[in-house]
Amino acid sequence: MSKIIGIDLGTTNSAVAVIEGGQPKVLENAEGNRTTPSIVAISKVGERLVGQLAKRQSVTNPKNTIFSVKRLIGRKFTDPEVGHDKNWLPYETKTSVSGGVEVKMGEKYYSPEEISAMILSKIKADVEAKLGDKVEEAVITVPAYFDDSQRQATKNAGEIAGLKVRRILNEPTAAALAYGFNKQKNEKIVVYDFGGGTFDVSVLEVADNTVEVKATGGDTHLGGDDFDKKINEYLVGEYKKQEGIDISKDPLALQRLKETAERAKHELSTSLETEINLPYITSDANGPKHLLIKLSRSKLEDLVREYIDRSIDIMKKVIKDANFQISDVQEVILVGGQTRMPAIQEAVKKAFGGKEPHKGINPDEVVAIGAAVQAGILQGDVKDVLLLDVTPLSLGIETLGGVFTRLIEKNTTVPTAKTQVFSTAADNQTSVEIHILQGEREMASDNKTLARFILDGVPPASRGTPQIEVSFDIDANGILNVSAKDKSSGKSQSVKIEATSALSKEEVEKLRQDAVAHAAEDKKKKELVEVRNLAENLIYVSEKALKDHADKVSPELKSSIEEKISKLKSVKDGSDAEAIKSATSELSSEIQKIAGQAQQSGQEPPK
Amino acid sequence: MEEKNDLEELQKKSEEYLNGWKRSQADFINYKKDEIKRFEEILKFGNEVLIREILPVLDSLNLAKEVPIKRQLEDILRKNGVEEIVVKIGDQFDPKFHEAIVEVEDDLTLKSGQVAEEVEKGYTLHGKLIRPAKIKCQK
Repeated sequence: MSKIIGIDLGTTNSAVAVIEGGQPKVLENAEGNRTTPSIVAISKVGERLVGQLAKRQSVTNPKNTIFSVKRLIGRKFTDPEVGHDKNWLPYETKTSVSGGVEVKMGEKYYSPEEISAMILSKIKADVEAKLGDKVEEAVITVPAYFDDSQRQATKNAGEIAGLKVRRILNEPTAAALAYGFNKQKNEKIVVYDFGGGTFDVSVLEVADNTVEVKATGGDTHLGGDDFDKKINEYLVGEYKKQEGIDISKDPLALQRLKETAERAKHELSTSLETEINLPYITSDANGPKHLLIKLSRSKLEDLVREYIDRSIDIMKKVIKDANFQISDVQEVILVGGQTRMPAIQEAVKKAFGGKEPHKGINPDEVVAIGAAVQAGILQGDVKDVLLLDVTPLSLGIETLGGVFTRLIEKNTTVPTAKTQVFSTAADNQTSVEIHILQGEREMASDNKTLARFILDGVPPASRGTPQIEVSFDIDANGILNVSAKDKSSGKSQSVKIEATSALSKEEVEKLRQDAVAHAAEDKKKKELVEVRNLAENLIYVSEKALKDHADKVSPELKSSIEEKISKLKSVKDGSDAEAIKSATSELSSEIQKIAGQAQQSGQEPPK
Repeated sequence: MEEKNDLEELQKKSEEYLNGWKRSQADFINYKKDEIKRFEEILKFGNEVLIREILPVLDSLNLAKEVPIKRQLEDILRKNGVEEIVVKIGDQFDPKFHEAIVEVEDDLTLKSGQVAEEVEKGYTLHGKLIRPAKIKCQK
């Protein structure tokens, strides 16, 4: 059976995802991009272009390059929205026989459905190439405020493209599905969607596995593009102030500026300041001129503050329209690339009294991912998926010097098993204690003990020789089986621990944060133990070597080594890691001389 | 009668579980195959982001006519699979490789839809377009 795909058919960009191995996955188009511009054109040589290619030729061919067709789909020509949009759209529109809209591309008029179908056809073809399989069915998303006619038209677009449209899904609902909120009971969710060209807010209520849209609102002409425009205007103005040159009439300079400004905008989401650096932007009588302007995050925020404030006002109004209080809202989801901006995230958070909005899923892809989740539900993929747990905390044992050695790292999907070989710390040690712990701290004593047991009957041998194989096995129910086996004697011992996941979510979170808070000091402690272990091992090896080669080592070297040993012994239990390290390396270089003397003595007996 | 139902139920379940197991095993094998492919892609295109960021430097060197430094950088890029898209005046505008930034009518010997000037070079990485050449197009 072929896969059902989930398509986010956007105003400016579209994306597509499928369920693979139980997980939604966004697919790249033929050009290798995860989103496709929702643009169709008939080029000057009569070729039909879709996506990035159509965009690249748009300046040469504005009359035959159709974008933002989503603004027209399913609408009457007499709609006030259409009346407004047709004034600024560069292509020709007219009324159809039935009163709808038609757009002119090349020599022909097309319905918006047909244009959208061309975008969907490209998506379908690219997915088929990528998956190596036919695609026949799809879930397509639309804004929550779309009426029946707009939904029907979108469905028709799918059918024209050869896709059976299994469901027309609301975009905010898709976002909620992507985050798995459909399973929650009686939750109120706000979806704040700041796209490239449109801003939408939706209030959803989840009850009994259904998601109901309670209210919608927004501004169909507010988006990230407005932010870019503001930055451009600012840079052009600044440059004029700096150099007295107006580059706003130079298309080449503007083009370079636009791209750099967009990159700067993205950069300012992660850094506090960036540099707009465009050498040779223009030239005057004195030769070439460069543009170098610093842009800080706070300046950017000043420039677009009004847009952010407006979006928050709209959001509050929509919540009120739904007859909800701000405090009723349990989840807030951010959608659209512009929500990567920290100032927007902050503003939303503030509006909800400090409640952290959900932003874990790529905001450009979350709608397509939700559509794929819906497709998976329709296909039966998601329903039958096995829910596998992860271990919330790392599991391991205590090793030499009180160090916590992890066998199973946190967030490992279970069932799983890990085995590692350990050894003894002292000569003729005949038993080992297996101390099983759970936690994220570096030292065993800071973690939670789950169990201890002793494996005895290890045949006497020098330290480090016995091989004790320790295995951790967690089954699907979270039950941990730990066994230790001495490889030479075959003796083994094991324990079963039922309650590895008895901790509550809050306890786990606390333990994790503890580990983060103590990370630096823990690392130091562990390092100290490690250098100490090394020092002890070297002392052991050195003393043994002196004994083994007693007849071959000169008395001078012997006393020098003994001196270095006692020096290392005196510092090794202190807390100065550097001192231990240097004493260790001194002894280490001294001890290597034994090998030299031993070799020589092989040729001539010691004097 | 009830026993028979139980048996059927169990058979159904065991079949379902076996199928689920097979499916997840197949998913895993396919995932491994995908992973190998992805790894190869990463090896081949892992530099793409860095190269895209470096290209503006090459543009600046071009504009500055810093020929020796420019050659040096171009050489490094070429060794790493970057090829310059060759554009000549009078070439047919091709959105697969070109991006038109403006239309002009300066040279009347050119036909509409032909490249009038290249203003920024375009590049491919192992055959994949990483930046289209920016051109002025004859109106």
